[in-house]
Amino acid sequence: MDGLMSGNLQGYLAVGLLLFVAGLATVLVRRTLLMQFMGIELMLNAANVVLLAFARTHGNDVRGTVFYLFIIGVAACEAAVGLALVIAFHRHRQTTDADRADLLKQ
Amino acid sequence: MFVVFALITLLGAGAMILQKNVITAGLCMVLCFFGVAGLFLLLANPVAAALQLIVYSGAIMVLVLFVIMLLNSHEEEPAAQSRPYQRWGGVALCAVLGVGALRLVMKSPAAAALGAKAGPAPAMTLEKVGRELFSAHLLAFEAVGLLLLAAMIAAVALTKKEP
Repeated sequence: MDGLMSGNLQGYLAVGLLLFVAGLATVLVRRTLLMQFMGIELMLNAANVVLLAFARTHGNDVRGTVFYLFIIGVAACEAAVGLALVIAFHRHRQTTDADRADLLKQ
Repeated sequence: MFVVFALITLLGAGAMILQKNVITAGLCMVLCFFGVAGLFLLLANPVAAALQLIVYSGAIMVLVLFVIMLLNSHEEEPAAQSRPYQRWGGVALCAVLGVGALRLVMKSPAAAALGAKAGPAPAMTLEKVGRELFSAHLLAFEAVGLLLLAAMIAAVALTKKEP
């Protein structure tokens, strides 16, 4: 418990885990598409925290940071396309509620 | 220091879920990203911390806030149908996943051994990242550039008004 408070590997893993669960809860519970998008960003960040924490235990391996760079690149693409989809959906249905995207169900 | 940044991160994330106003939720998320950048600094990785601030707290959040204001959807709309089972099922699922995985991490002897084995590490520098990126991962770097171009074209095509 002492090492956890001063930030050992398990402390970072716990933070990453709780961050991921928070993002997942946002996607599952909130209905606004923009909030769900933010939840996805939280989950990507949780992955980054865990990745760099493990890289740190391997003597601050540079490949961890390189991989983090690629994750950021893909997250930026996801942000651009995801927000464009939200705007396109709002243009067609005048709403950003994920529950109202039910045209295929009817 | 670790506890401070961890608390900033987790409180920002928690406030984001509970916030009714979408703009305030976005600002709580910026707080969470700042906490994550602090954690990266503590991991002796200032390169990642700077990237986190520039890309997430800067670019992505500005994009999100612009879209919120563009669509004028500050509040969550009233539910079309109430789905209590899905809602509470989701919360229960998250709680089970969180508690179970936390127990697993805390009890894992392998994670404890890996953490104890790690000695002092040199701080990450931009030079090291650049050398690795442009030697061993050059192809992936070019692919990410292409992916960004594709995403840009896709965003323009998706938001274009149909004739």
